[in-house]
Amino acid sequence: MDQLLTQFIGALRNADIRISTAETLDALSTVELVGYSDRRLLKDSLSLVLPKTLDEKAAFDTCFDQFFSFGERASLPPAAADSDVALSGDAAGQAGNGQTGAGGDAQDQRTGNARPGTPRQQTNAITTPGQDDTTAALGGGEMSEPQSPLGQLLVRGNQLEITIAINTAGRQVNVHEIEVFTQKGVYTRRIMDAMGQAELQQEITRLTDSAAIPDRRRAVDLTHRRDWLRERVRDYVEHQFLLHADVTGRRLREDLLRDVRLSALEQRHHRLLQDLVLRMARRLISEHSRRRKVFRRGQLHVPRTLRRNMKYDDAVFDLQWKSVKVDRPKVFAVCDVSGSVSAYARFMLMFLYSLDEVLPKVRSFAFSSDLGEVSELFARTSVDEAIAIALKQYGSGSTDYGQAFADFRRLCLDEVDNRATVIILGDARNNYGDARTDVLKELYDRSKRVIWLNPEPRTMWNTGDSEMRHYAPYCHQVDECSTLAHLERIVGRLLRAVV
Amino acid sequence: MADVPQIAASVVSLQQHLEAHRYICSAQIATAVYLAYHLRKPVLIEGPPGVGKTELAKTTAEMFDLPLIRLQCYEGLDEAKALYEWKYGKQLLYTQVLKQTLDEVLQGAKGFAESVKRLHEFGDIFFSEEFLEARPLLKALQEERGCVLLIDEVDKSDHEFESLLLEILSDYQVSIPEIGTVRARREPPLVFLTSNNTREISDALKRRCLHLYIPFPDIELEQRIINARVPAIPPQLRAQLVRFIHGLRDLDLKKVPSISETIDWARTLLLLHADRLDPELVSNTMNVILKFQEDIENVQPELRTLTEKATKESD
Repeated sequence: MDQLLTQFIGALRNADIRISTAETLDALSTVELVGYSDRRLLKDSLSLVLPKTLDEKAAFDTCFDQFFSFGERASLPPAAADSDVALSGDAAGQAGNGQTGAGGDAQDQRTGNARPGTPRQQTNAITTPGQDDTTAALGGGEMSEPQSPLGQLLVRGNQLEITIAINTAGRQVNVHEIEVFTQKGVYTRRIMDAMGQAELQQEITRLTDSAAIPDRRRAVDLTHRRDWLRERVRDYVEHQFLLHADVTGRRLREDLLRDVRLSALEQRHHRLLQDLVLRMARRLISEHSRRRKVFRRGQLHVPRTLRRNMKYDDAVFDLQWKSVKVDRPKVFAVCDVSGSVSAYARFMLMFLYSLDEVLPKVRSFAFSSDLGEVSELFARTSVDEAIAIALKQYGSGSTDYGQAFADFRRLCLDEVDNRATVIILGDARNNYGDARTDVLKELYDRSKRVIWLNPEPRTMWNTGDSEMRHYAPYCHQVDECSTLAHLERIVGRLLRAVV
Repeated sequence: MADVPQIAASVVSLQQHLEAHRYICSAQIATAVYLAYHLRKPVLIEGPPGVGKTELAKTTAEMFDLPLIRLQCYEGLDEAKALYEWKYGKQLLYTQVLKQTLDEVLQGAKGFAESVKRLHEFGDIFFSEEFLEARPLLKALQEERGCVLLIDEVDKSDHEFESLLLEILSDYQVSIPEIGTVRARREPPLVFLTSNNTREISDALKRRCLHLYIPFPDIELEQRIINARVPAIPPQLRAQLVRFIHGLRDLDLKKVPSISETIDWARTLLLLHADRLDPELVSNTMNVILKFQEDIENVQPELRTLTEKATKESD
């Protein structure tokens, strides 16, 4: 089993890309086919096999770049570690062309030994900061031997050893417990400490202060090597973060968001919330899209009729009909968009319009005092923009349900028939105006269902200027609707009823 | 005959051969064909209308010199039209004709049981391959040399039809109750499915496919496409019109112009002997690239700036 690939898939799953076992197997055979040598080809190929929507493809791109940056970035530091003095040609060769290993003989030799298959090892082997290199870079000056264990490890420059050391240190500090991205710095530091940074630091200080030239050369060299190591550790932590974290933070937030009152949400949560709404909607779609009714009537289906009747010696008496008729429900959403309720209207409309696959005929109306249709707005622009415009256009007046119902009656009473569901979202606070329950009764008689969603908690209904008690008798269903969880439940029930 | 394994040996070779058949594509698209060929997996192609989704399947068929079998999806498409159908007329005719033979067969049979036994000896002749009318999906499996199967606009079909596709896509076989399982002959078909994303394709189907998203091409690629399709057009005009189209795509339109519309427009301008864009010319030929009156009216005030920008940038 290819460990690198499974790790990568783990990271993808963490980034909310859904990948099944079958797709993992596909990815394996893809990698077998294309190999790891061509980064571009690998990325193109895997992006065909693993992510299956446009969003996932975008997430995949970032994930791939982050995950496979490890080997790439590690190829640069040795060049930097070789100080700025000489070796510019050699360094550029390495940096630009890590794969072919344009370095010295020692490097070529190591490339030969590198096990093909995993890119990390390949690139790392090439870019080992070998002692020969450094010596050459500093003009052949001799250096003293480092004393601290970490210093010795770095000077030996064995990639495998260093990787193992980083991994061990990582396990010591429980890096897999990393949860949010702000912890990356902390864990980098902890790993460095666990690897013996303090001792190395002391040695560097001591060597810098030393009078002997070889000592000071070594000090500069060690400083570079330490910086390089820090980069490596940071990459390692980044990796671990991709593998273990992110998702926990996200789930936590999403669980909270589901049950928070929608009006209390802050602007910055809106994006996440939109994703959540879309995901809920998609689940409802997959649950309900199979429930469309199929009617068989219309034209005679000649072949099928003949076939079915063959057993009756061609006496045609079991008729078969063509044409599959899909019954599409109509939904009218009437939303109060005055200040107190607009936040709820926003999410209900977002929800309804995310369902256009199962509810293709949603017509929406917004009002505070005067009512107007906003369906066209939603059809043309994105949900966010449409809501902003609707709020600006209709959200200014003081709430008047009577006027709104009268407007609705005038606009489209004719179209409300026994297939129509009318959803009214509002707190029923009418500023003591005329409630016009007669219009609501008319809607109630004509339509299949009238549903009233009230964002206020039930205990607040019928207090003050709330007309809930007058409206409720003319509704098939009255519900409290203040969180996304409520909304999901109600829309789910709506779908069961109408589709 | 095309040397298929040779062509499909590498992504670069595929890209070159597609180009030789006048299909200019990015490495990503060529990679999709490469993987589809080597892994034998169907490709689900998504993207805005008119970016060459269907064309890719057609060109691939041409390039590999394989027959192209096309199934256009629509609402209400069912297995009788997509998979197979019995030849009812033939069945009826044969029963009538064979009535006499049946009498002969049954002559001398004692009792009902023996008659039935004799009839059984005939086997299910009326439900054999002789009476089977193969529709596109079945036909694709029966092709001796393999073929390219194009299932166009799969998002237009019903959910039930999607489920029907699952068996053929994952195992290259279909089950016909009366006959049994029909497997692909020697070479399984190369399957391309296209979708305009009018609805979400089910996860089960997506899982069985490679997923290729073709976006609008960048300026350089689109210029090469125009060059391949309308070679006679002067280079300067080509650069200008491609930049103009890219400017249009950034506007808020009901339907943004696609590659096929760019090509049409290039042909139109060529026919009018234009050698550079000017606002009047653009205004007169607008209906080639924009298909809604509303869009044309919306774009009208922007025409001058857009044209100037396009001509300036390409100079």
